[in-house]
This record gives sequence, structure tokens and C-alpha cells, in this order.
Amino acid sequence: MIEAAGIPTVTLNMIWVYQNVVGMPRVAAIEHPFGRPYGDVGDADTQRAVLRAALGVFETAREPGHLEHLPFVWHEDPKQTKWHPAEPSPIIAMLKKRQ
Amino acid sequence: MRERSTDEKARQVDPWRFAGGFLQKVLSARIPDAPVWDEIPWAPVSKPLARSKVTLLSTAGLSMRGDPPFDMEMERAKPTIGDPSWRRLRADATSATVEANHLHIDTGYIQRDLDVALPLARLRELVAAGEVGAVAESHYSIMGYQGSDTSRLERESAPAIASAMKSEEVDLALLAPV
Repeated sequence: MIEAAGIPTVTLNMIWVYQNVVGMPRVAAIEHPFGRPYGDVGDADTQRAVLRAALGVFETAREPGHLEHLPFVWHEDPKQTKWHPAEPSPIIAMLKKRQ
Repeated sequence: MRERSTDEKARQVDPWRFAGGFLQKVLSARIPDAPVWDEIPWAPVSKPLARSKVTLLSTAGLSMRGDPPFDMEMERAKPTIGDPSWRRLRADATSATVEANHLHIDTGYIQRDLDVALPLARLRELVAAGEVGAVAESHYSIMGYQGSDTSRLERESAPAIASAMKSEEVDLALLAPV
């Protein structure tokens, strides 16, 4: 909608495969945990580098659906990375009950 | 901070690396094998980044303290829908002046450092360095979880956000789902 209004957009996205559901004009894929797309608390260097890389896609994208996989590695192993809310979200709790 | 090695760079980003098996199964079931859309909208970039006014959007349910927060009780009462409204955030927003309401992530990180999801301080640095033209006066948030019905977000919030961006003559919008 923002793009349709004439404003170019880049989406910094973890689940970049949603491209089949919502066609995003320019995508910067990032392998970061949910809740911290730009980097961890206090890690200004990574936040700045990710922001710079995502903004850079405005200059490299040439056609709609452009996808770039950003070269950042999260500093923790997924097993050590805590991103979940304190309680399961209502929909997850509901789906798990149905299992 | 570490960048991926040459071998790692050749790989695609793993969208499920942090998701866990159950969430991966739930979310990937909703992704078709082929695009369901006919075309992707496209607005060409008309000026260099160094002369562009940039706005940020987050799906972390962010609101300025003092403004009505995103409604979590709506989702608790009916888990298949999320709050479809939107909020405007000031360019000087910090983790002290913003609250994050989102039932699907630990919002504690954002509450300690807004820049993990809405890097306004980082954006100011890039402007000061001459890499970006200007920070927009306003930035935006929606609730990322919409459930089974995105129609109100699409019909009401998205056009309002686009209109607000246009009124501030924003050149570029960087969106970051959480």
C-alpha cells in the first residue's frame, strides 16, 4: 500500500519466504531472532550495519521482488537465543491445545 | 558482529533458524509453493539515499507513552484476530518514551533498547555521517499479528500510514517485521 502510494519500500525480513503470500517490492533477508531484526540490545555496531545494508537495497534493487540475503550471523546459537514471550501467544496456546 | 563467510554467504538466510519446530510447522503451512499475487507494486527510487528522507516502520506494537497502547485484550479474547490499528512515533522516541505491546515476542529487548527494532538513533548517525538525507518527523508501528483477517489493516491503517508518510514528503520507507 505504501509502495502503491508512490513511496519506495524495503522490508527487512526474517521470514522472507512470505514473499509468496505478500509480494514485497524489495526484501533484505536477515537471519536474526524474532523481536530483534536490527541486532541485540546495546550492539550499536550491528544495528548500524544492518540498517546500512537494508537501506542499501534501495540502491541495488532494479525490479519488483528483489531479494537480498544479508550476511549477518547472530552471535548466539539458536538454543541459547531467548525470544519467546513469557507465555505462549493466545493463538499458539489454542493450536497446541488442539493437538 | 560477524558477517557470514563466503560459504555461508552462498547460502540463503534460513527463515526458520530461531523459530522452533512447532512454529515453523504452523507458519510454513500458510505459505503456498507459488506466489498468490499477480504483480508486486513498484515505486522507483528517485534520488540518492544521501538526499532521501527516511521513515521506519515496525510491527512490534509500539506506541508513544501517553497514547492508547495496542489492544492485547482483543487478541486474548479472540486469538484469531490482532489489533489492526496503527501508531505514529516521534523521531525522538526512545525506549523510555515508547511502550511495546506484542504477545508473540519477548518485548523486553525493545524496552531496553528501541534500536533493536526501530533504530532511530542509528538512523540519526547515518544522517550525521551524510549517508542518509534526513530522518522523517514521524515513524510508524502496527501489530504484526493480524490473524485470519487483515482487511481492516489493509483498508484503514495502511492507507492512513501511506497518507501520513506522503504528507511529510518521505522519500523511502524501511519496514521491519519483528
